Amino acid sequence: MKPRPLPADPMVRQLVQQARNAQIARRTLLTGAGAGAAALALAACSPGANSAPTAAADSSDDDKSLNWDNWALYIDVDDAGNYPTLEAFTTKTGIKVTYSEAVDDNNTYYGKVKDQLALGQDIGADAVCLTDWMIGRLIRFGYVQELDHDNIPNLANLAPSLKDVSFDPGRKMSVPWQGGFAGICWNKEKVPGGISSVEELWDPQLKGRVGVLSEMRDTMGLIMLEAGVDIAGEWGDDEFAAAIDVLKKQVEDGQVRNIKGNSYKEDLVNEDTLAAIVWSGDIIQLNAENDDRWEFIVPEKGGTLWNDNFVVPIGSSRKKNAEALINYYYDPHVAAEVAAYVNYITPVVGAKEAAMAIDPELANNQLIFPDATTLDRAHVFRALSGAEEQKYNADFQGILLGA
Amino acid sequence: MAFAAFATTAAKSGEPAPRRRSRVALLLLLPGILYLVLFFLTPLVSLLLTSFQAPSEFGDVGEFNYAFRWENYTEVVGAYLPHILRSFGFAFVATVLALVISYPLAYFIGVSSRRWPLLQSVMLVLVIAPFFISFLLRTLAWKQLLSDESFVVTSLKAVSLLAPDAHLTGTPFAVIFGLTYNFIPFMTLPLYATLERLDLRYLEAGTDLYANPFHVFLKVTIPLSMPGIVAGTLLTFIPAAGDYINASRDFLGGPDSQMIGNVIEANFLVLLNYPIAAALSLILMAVILVVVSFYVKRAGTEELL
Amino acid sequence: MATAAFADRGADLELVGIQKRFPGFTAIEDLDLTIPAGSFFALLGPSGCGKTTTLRLVAGLEEPTRGRILIGGMDVTAQKPYQRPVNTVFQSYALFPHMTVLENVAFGLRRRKIDDAVGKAHEALRLVELDHLAARKPLQLSGGQQQRVALARAIVNRPALLLLDEPLGALDLKLRRQMQLELKGIQEEVGLTFLHVTHDQEEAMTMADTVAVMNKGRIEQMGPPEELYEAPRTAFVANFLGQSNLLTGNVAGTTNQAISVDVAGHRVVVPRDRARRLAGTVTIGVRPEKLSLHRETPASDPARNVLGPGRVSDVSFSGMSTQYLVTTPGIGTLVVFAQNKTFGPMAQAGDEVWVSWSIAHGFGLDDDPAERPGRAPDDDTRNVAVHKRPALVPERGEA
Repeated sequence: MKPRPLPADPMVRQLVQQARNAQIARRTLLTGAGAGAAALALAACSPGANSAPTAAADSSDDDKSLNWDNWALYIDVDDAGNYPTLEAFTTKTGIKVTYSEAVDDNNTYYGKVKDQLALGQDIGADAVCLTDWMIGRLIRFGYVQELDHDNIPNLANLAPSLKDVSFDPGRKMSVPWQGGFAGICWNKEKVPGGISSVEELWDPQLKGRVGVLSEMRDTMGLIMLEAGVDIAGEWGDDEFAAAIDVLKKQVEDGQVRNIKGNSYKEDLVNEDTLAAIVWSGDIIQLNAENDDRWEFIVPEKGGTLWNDNFVVPIGSSRKKNAEALINYYYDPHVAAEVAAYVNYITPVVGAKEAAMAIDPELANNQLIFPDATTLDRAHVFRALSGAEEQKYNADFQGILLGA
Repeated sequence: MAFAAFATTAAKSGEPAPRRRSRVALLLLLPGILYLVLFFLTPLVSLLLTSFQAPSEFGDVGEFNYAFRWENYTEVVGAYLPHILRSFGFAFVATVLALVISYPLAYFIGVSSRRWPLLQSVMLVLVIAPFFISFLLRTLAWKQLLSDESFVVTSLKAVSLLAPDAHLTGTPFAVIFGLTYNFIPFMTLPLYATLERLDLRYLEAGTDLYANPFHVFLKVTIPLSMPGIVAGTLLTFIPAAGDYINASRDFLGGPDSQMIGNVIEANFLVLLNYPIAAALSLILMAVILVVVSFYVKRAGTEELL
Repeated sequence: MATAAFADRGADLELVGIQKRFPGFTAIEDLDLTIPAGSFFALLGPSGCGKTTTLRLVAGLEEPTRGRILIGGMDVTAQKPYQRPVNTVFQSYALFPHMTVLENVAFGLRRRKIDDAVGKAHEALRLVELDHLAARKPLQLSGGQQQRVALARAIVNRPALLLLDEPLGALDLKLRRQMQLELKGIQEEVGLTFLHVTHDQEEAMTMADTVAVMNKGRIEQMGPPEELYEAPRTAFVANFLGQSNLLTGNVAGTTNQAISVDVAGHRVVVPRDRARRLAGTVTIGVRPEKLSLHRETPASDPARNVLGPGRVSDVSFSGMSTQYLVTTPGIGTLVVFAQNKTFGPMAQAGDEVWVSWSIAHGFGLDDDPAERPGRAPDDDTRNVAVHKRPALVPERGEA
């Protein structure tokens, strides 16, 4: 089946979808033998057969509060467990923020909220930070609200390279929170020679001791970059299939020990894996906790750059408050404060200079404040269409699940 | 079951008094029936309907319409037969291992230690103690204990029981090990409950009738403890077949040891392929139902229960 | 294995110097016992006397602390239960609930790999008249039927020695009587040696050729039932086997035929061959049913002992006989059973009466009266009630 992308204009887009759904509803009625009312009632809960939800009316002016769902260990925390920058935000704006570490995985978070999003209901969060590709999906489905850039003047500080991303041209719907690289790391003691490319991960000496990420875009991105593919640009099924073959062979031969999400860190620590495709921020933290045992690089042929981005879910009635929050965190001084704590890459220009004042060593860390050379090696995996996402994910999961 | 019980009551009511009683029975059963309809039947119907869904014509990831796409089932079996077989294989091996480990343990607690109630209590607490720690944590602990540089693996390699380049985590061995470990209490407790009530006079009768200890065990002890064996094996086999934690790559599994649960999880959470996940769930349910009813029928424990 | 064949006939059982200690107590002190082949031997005693322990020692379910067990002359002390040519009918029957009646009966045969186990099992079931229930499960049978299956399951193996552990205890009285006769009949038919343990003296006497009365881990007396009943050696036996009136006094004179004892001023004569002690203080006894009650002083008769006058303190009717309690000053209370040959009691409570019995019916005990004054304690509730009743009567305001 050939995917036909929806028109960009939201009005037209909504009309088209409504038309499609009417068709579907008729068909459901005709084929619903034996299913009856139950099927219809259930159909109402299904995201597939519904028109794009509409944004909730904004009540920010009367309601000075905000719920923010984010990943764990992703904001500055003081010894008392408070969030200093958030407290300053509340003092400054009078908006009271409820911060929840509610996101531990893009997929599980999505699974939790998708049905409410489809119905345009409030999911209990006014700002959520999720990864690029998931943001792409949310935008495609019309699950997020368009941001009013007038309310975010500090957005001028957004790093130029992130201003125009394929899944959200012009950053109409999303704004980066923090980012990081996927690259290669190795155990300095056990692999004294170091590793400079993905190809070297397939060295027989490392057989059974190599880890790769279960995040499709990072693992496949690095393998495709190794093969010379510009992952941000034009590529298609052939390039992807070639990379899948590489991974499949390495997994089946036992070169790759395992394919993991966040738990890859445990494998590094207990040395089940001695070299791996990993995320930069994790290695900074692991090194801090384990006497600098690992070295991280973005391979010469390229690593991936990903961001977690703010979005305002469709059912939120406090978009303006969320915009105020985004604006606040795009102040370079605030961004530097966060960066000093979380060790990820801030998208805010000027944060490095601000960080110099706090901690010069930190400001010179290439993994937190990368310079142009480092950034040149990092590429953003291009946005995928629904059909591509389905196919590529299925191919990748096929390897993860084995035969 | 509840319906069947009600039907019997209703069928017997011929006179006014029993009919009133049956109305009372209906009233008493109502919360249960409502609960079952709401929390068992509805999701089951939903699951069944989902399993026949077809992708939306112009749909994005995770968009499906109600249809009668029975090919979902054949496709699922075609694509995931190895995982289905592996799940039941792993569950079977783990159940047998758990039985072999638990039976002597339960026998020791329930029979050999009868004269020392304190010892019995201590042993039982030890069996249950792991429950006080989240089984995720316990499984993670095993992942550490079985890791390449761990004492276990280095020792096994030192005595050549393990090849120099072999490892344990991420292998089928580790998954079966984890399943066995995690379900041993579920096997031990029902076995204990049965063996604790085992009338030793039957064993004496057996030995008096020329059966040596082995034959007494085989012909008397085992058959008399069948209710515990059946309960324990079911409590182990059913959840083990559907387990996805132990085989998860984040825990003890690897790409070559993924079970149905992992496939369902991947299809549901990552691929958003709900019909496939639903069809797999139903296949898992159906196979378990068939295996279990066949097993229970063969075990024939009615007169012992 | 020594047990691989059927025993043609019962074998002797010999217990030599058996002692059995459990942590905290000694169940059997020092037991020597020989049971001749082919006999029906009853081990009778109150609970806790060691009779069941003895049976379990023979079966091999317990190991003796000391001593030897021989069956048919062969020392089996070290043999495991399944190696001994012995089978047990358990008090609880212990029929395997997961097997049919037939499978239960064939169990022992199959374990010994004997040909045609099923045929022989059917045969054994026919003997106990239960072949038509062969396919049932034990729990579908009545208590009496289960008991017979248990018997069939044991005798089908033709053991040299069959042990019966109070096998009739769970049955009601009528069924018990019937089973006693059947069991006896079967024993005579198959000719095996039966060792029957029971606390029911009537059962022991009905069935056994030889009865051994056991008390506190020892055998007090052993012999044919009539002998034990008519000439008990000890106060325990005298009271455990039925009831006895026991009197204590000094030997006043001895002849070739008899001894005469002075009991609180009354002369009581006991045949010399029925008296175990011939001098000093002795305890003598006579069975209640041997006593005659007289409303007037009986005519002097050298063949009878007479005690009295006493007063009837209680009369109780029990169908074919009436029991009178007669209190005589200096002697105590005597129990008299009088057959109800006529309507109505011979005497009322409060009447003055005399008691007499044929000299030939008295017996003299072996006990040292100093050690065991008066009646031996026993736990038969009927006896306890009889003893306690006079004490209770005033309390109840009936006197």
